[in-house]
Amino acid sequence: MAEPEVVIDVDEVSYTYAPDTPLALDHVSLQIRKGDFLALLGQNGAGKTTLAKTFNGLLLPTRGSVYVGGQDTRNATVSSLAARVGYCYQNPDHQIFNTTVYREASYGPRNLGLPPNEVAARVDHALQLVDLADKKDAYPFLLGKGERQKLAVASVLAMGSPILVVDEPTTGLDLHGIRSIMILLRQWNQIEGRTIVIITHDLHIVAEYVPRTVVMAQGKIVADGPTRSILSDGAALATTGLKPPQITRVAQRLSHHGIPPDVMTVDEMLACLRTALSSNKDARTSQEGVSDAGWLQHLH
Amino acid sequence: MPVGYSIYIEKPSYVHQRIDPRTKLFALCTSFVLALLFNNPAYLGVLLVAVIAIGLWAKLPLKSFRAYLIYALWFLILGVLIWPFYIHQGPVVLRVGSAQFTRDGLLFGLAMGLRVGLMVTAAGVWMMSTSPQHMTLGLLRLGLPYKAGMAMSATIRFVPLINAERATIMEAQRARGLDLSRGNPFRRAVRYVAVIGPMLVQALDLAQSLALAMEARAFGARHSRTSITEIRLTKVDWYIMIGCVLLIAAAIAFRILGIGVLIRGYL
Amino acid sequence: MGAPVVQVEGLTFRYPASDQILHGINLEINRGDFVGITGPSGAGKTTLCMCLKGLIPHVVGGTMRGRVTVRGMDTRKTEPSILAEAVAMVFQDPESQIVGLTVEEDLAFGPENLMRHARLIRDEIPKMLQTVGLIGYERRETYKLSGGQKQRIAIAAALMMEPQVLILDEPTSELDPLGKTEVFQVVRRLREEQQVTIIMVEHEVEQLADVADRIIALDRGCIVADAPPREFFHSAELFHRMEGARLPQVAELFLALEAEEFVGPADFTPYEEEAIAHLDRLLLRKRG
Repeated sequence: MAEPEVVIDVDEVSYTYAPDTPLALDHVSLQIRKGDFLALLGQNGAGKTTLAKTFNGLLLPTRGSVYVGGQDTRNATVSSLAARVGYCYQNPDHQIFNTTVYREASYGPRNLGLPPNEVAARVDHALQLVDLADKKDAYPFLLGKGERQKLAVASVLAMGSPILVVDEPTTGLDLHGIRSIMILLRQWNQIEGRTIVIITHDLHIVAEYVPRTVVMAQGKIVADGPTRSILSDGAALATTGLKPPQITRVAQRLSHHGIPPDVMTVDEMLACLRTALSSNKDARTSQEGVSDAGWLQHLH
Repeated sequence: MPVGYSIYIEKPSYVHQRIDPRTKLFALCTSFVLALLFNNPAYLGVLLVAVIAIGLWAKLPLKSFRAYLIYALWFLILGVLIWPFYIHQGPVVLRVGSAQFTRDGLLFGLAMGLRVGLMVTAAGVWMMSTSPQHMTLGLLRLGLPYKAGMAMSATIRFVPLINAERATIMEAQRARGLDLSRGNPFRRAVRYVAVIGPMLVQALDLAQSLALAMEARAFGARHSRTSITEIRLTKVDWYIMIGCVLLIAAAIAFRILGIGVLIRGYL
Repeated sequence: MGAPVVQVEGLTFRYPASDQILHGINLEINRGDFVGITGPSGAGKTTLCMCLKGLIPHVVGGTMRGRVTVRGMDTRKTEPSILAEAVAMVFQDPESQIVGLTVEEDLAFGPENLMRHARLIRDEIPKMLQTVGLIGYERRETYKLSGGQKQRIAIAAALMMEPQVLILDEPTSELDPLGKTEVFQVVRRLREEQQVTIIMVEHEVEQLADVADRIIALDRGCIVADAPPREFFHSAELFHRMEGARLPQVAELFLALEAEEFVGPADFTPYEEEAIAHLDRLLLRKRG
């Protein structure tokens, strides 16, 4: 089966905010394919937001080019790219300005010049996905932080762009809020087939929900691959000052017992331990969704 | 738009470090009074040069004057174009259609332009050579209520934040299709609500949080506040202020005698 | 274990024209304690902090019943400025709690409000900066600092008031991992070096477990658990009830291992190093 088409092609892109300042992006190349769900990881200042802003033309590279759907972003306006790349900012209060939830969510699609019934359909669908359909006449500023976050995401989802960039959507939310957003994004990717780029520094959610990870440091990409291998790559993470999730760290310290170093969730760890600790060695079959390769190698 | 929280440029000069902000304020007012008392472009020109000289003595870089001098140039051009319609004193030097431009009219226009330029540049030098802390403290010592002084400081402190938020909001809304490049000015202004709205809400939010944080640190607990910044009026300050008073007195005398006055009866 | 420095009796609170947010809170905190507070959004954690600080009832409107006593002073009957010298608070947002254009101005803000002598304030500033690991930052412009640096300045500024109690309300939630680490380092140092009683609301339970003597769970305005970390995280049904509250991953793991009878209740741990040691022993036994 052929690989899905490349929807965003970053070709040797460099960017600097002002002349004689250090490069915010330093010869970055990246290919994002249709249906990808990837996380851009890195400390503040690593360049992840700068890179993401080149996807919808908010920033144009000082060197190199970014192609969205084959088109060079230099030859397109931000508003035309908005139809293809939706960008949801970190702070929902930087976007919300309408008096009802419905009007707020419809702002984007209206700007795209879509016919009214199309706008209504998209907005209703988006509000339903974030569980705010019953609040469509509510005053947005009276909603809680988590709900405003969902409204901001819904407002961008309603634009229907095939590619979605979300910038730190889980900052300041509790576990319930984080789960709601991540489940929504997973649904948007797996069921609705959209391409999603999430900018974050929360490795717990990356481990649990996001299949591909790109790690940045000092304007460069230092690692790009399946989340599983990136999170267990101590060297790459160390350069960014990020630590793998606690459970991964524990697994890595127990590698001499045959525990694979790429354990990403508590459930995976449990499955590994279940096998290791049960007296019946054939209980291997009771494993659930575990990285078999590393574990089996050590058994033999 | 100045980047950072103020126009202040830190320099190790006498003007910056040794002269009390109250003195500098007094000198600024003096320059305004002098600007208003003369309407001969030659005299005003000399005053402008003097102000720039003080700025250079304060070690302010020449390029920092550029903005103010450009404003001055605009007012100069405006002055020269408009005032001759009102001033008909002196020999006619130019005829354009039915309009007559006299020498004195043109010179008066020049003077008016220079006057604005002088005042703007003087204000600029004052702001560039006085730190916001000193400025606020100076005003407080002159009797500004301390809560008003705090409001001033807080405003200055948050300028870069509000500026950054404005830029972020603008980007966020552009990413949702906001297009401010097309359409007539009125329509564009209406669309700008998408930026102003969140800005206002953020500002209100910020004000509320800030008030809480300030209360938490006992703001308003006493009738006044101490300050780790210190300002003191020294002998030099008094000499400068006396000098300013003398300059004003002399200028008033000149005015009455008609020296430095191109057109009597006009300010 | 010192004498009680904070006592809360039957505290209830509702914001104007709103539902009740705190329902009968009873709490006692001793001098020198480090108390963590966790719970889902909307549980009332910030409201509780504001009651302990005295911002409720003096600054924030609403109906408060019950009593909060700090150092023997009833918060309702004591001047806010006197309370400010007993309890200091660090808020969630790094930006809106910094008042000064420069670091030293911000640190001086509180003592200046209390009309402390300028010389004394100036002498204290370098010591505070050392405590938070920002030596030499006096003249830096505050708006140029990173999030972690701003929060550390906020902590230093709070400490300048010389309080007995320091409350931190989700100080790391807006910060990146580096900033979070910086803040926790400072908090850890405070715990070891200073006499100040610390109350910290946090979602970062893994790091909180490491520093807190005791953790309180607040859910829908009630205290539903109050125990040292080991005991606190041992309760599985607590966390099922409180959707939105996190456990350290090792705690989750050990609860599951206990449920499947691979370990006994005595082996439970919420601490990373201990967990590694336990599992190491366990796996060693199985092998040999």
